Amino acid sequence: MYEGIRSPAVHMPKTMSDLVSASTRFPNATFWAGGTFIMSRHDYYPTRDSNDIISLNEVPELKRINRTDRYLEIGATVSFEQLLTVGKQVLPGLLQMTLERSATKIVRKQITVGGAICTPQIRLALPGTLSALQAEVEVKSCMGPKTETRWLEINRLYDKKGAFLLKKNDLVTRIRLGFEREDFSCHIAAGDPMTNPGETVMLSFACFHNQSVVDRFRMCITFPTSMFLIPHEVDMMMHGTMLPLTTQQIERVVRSIMEEVLSSSDHEIPPIQVERSRRFIESALHELNAQSLSER
Amino acid sequence: MKIECTIDGKHLLLTVNSNKPLNLILADELETPLLTIRCRDGSCGNCVVLLNDEAVLSCLIPAFRLKGARVLTFEGYQKTRFWHDLERAYEDTGSHPCPHCYASKTLIFESLLQMIVKSESGASRDEEPDEETIVREIGLNKCPCLDAHEMLDIFKAAATYRRRRRVRRY
Repeated sequence: MYEGIRSPAVHMPKTMSDLVSASTRFPNATFWAGGTFIMSRHDYYPTRDSNDIISLNEVPELKRINRTDRYLEIGATVSFEQLLTVGKQVLPGLLQMTLERSATKIVRKQITVGGAICTPQIRLALPGTLSALQAEVEVKSCMGPKTETRWLEINRLYDKKGAFLLKKNDLVTRIRLGFEREDFSCHIAAGDPMTNPGETVMLSFACFHNQSVVDRFRMCITFPTSMFLIPHEVDMMMHGTMLPLTTQQIERVVRSIMEEVLSSSDHEIPPIQVERSRRFIESALHELNAQSLSER
Repeated sequence: MKIECTIDGKHLLLTVNSNKPLNLILADELETPLLTIRCRDGSCGNCVVLLNDEAVLSCLIPAFRLKGARVLTFEGYQKTRFWHDLERAYEDTGSHPCPHCYASKTLIFESLLQMIVKSESGASRDEEPDEETIVREIGLNKCPCLDAHEMLDIFKAAATYRRRRRVRRY
């Protein structure tokens, strides 16, 4: 059954410089972190055009979680389960919620943070959450003997339709999160992005407020195959608004985001995704109201 | 690619494609009977094995990650004394998984029981699994043959036996 199928060469660099040199020497190789996404594709094995593999699991820098005075820095091959062990004091509640809801413990041990960010075909819940938390990623570009390192806001990795914008020789090595804690956050998701991407909607929302006045309003709506939307206009519109929101304000926010959702896609969005998005936004805003009222 | 690993206590040298999933290795090379039904994308949860004592979906483990690893399939697990805790729990509660998911669900139960042992011995930061965690973890296998109450009853009965045993290693 498997005759004629080539066994891909597996490169296991042990240091960052080995990794850079391997990615320069084998430009078509696939970077392998946890492998959960790659292996869950129906055409994964057997296949005749399997590229070489560069395993990232032996590079210690990528497996580290560092805490500095200002940031939490997470290596790209840190698994979801490993990240959850960091604890509630360090990890933002929204991130913790997203990681716990992403999969069962058994699968979370395999899914890596970098892998969840860099899946080429579909967007998972993590990028939306990191985006709502204004996380940054370190990207290393391996161009021959030269390596360029830069920090980017995570939302710059995708366009509005969720397409992954990094080049083949770009590698996400670390994720950086500030210690500023959101005053309100919620993660709502329905559907499974891996098995049912056409019906799945994920919403991550973080709100920073100061004495009931909204300071920052960060929402990200993700459809696994067609949308990665951060409504910046709503962020500006909500700045300085008093909490709790009135019914009219909620309606205006929902209408504004939904207009952006509907105009962002080239093709027709399935009605179930439209309806779910609308209800999720409403629900998130009502929860925000409920929390602000309970704090009074 | 040549890979040295231990499967069900046997030290093996396998010659397989480096990206071949473990479930296919077990089914093709070792003819493990309970891994013949497969989804190939981690969605059915029928291919759970213990890799270095931790439950994993074998369809998501490539061959190159098996270097020096210890794999325990349900067949191997049945030869350990820990199996009897679950066997007795199934008998006591009168509920057991159906033949399709028996191996997989049993190994997931085992991984949850190990969490108890580790948390009690302080060997891990894992907390003892709560009811929600138990139902969610067993739900990794999509077969609907056990309801939540049955899962919890089985787990509680098996945990009682495991605590009595007070043995932490195979």
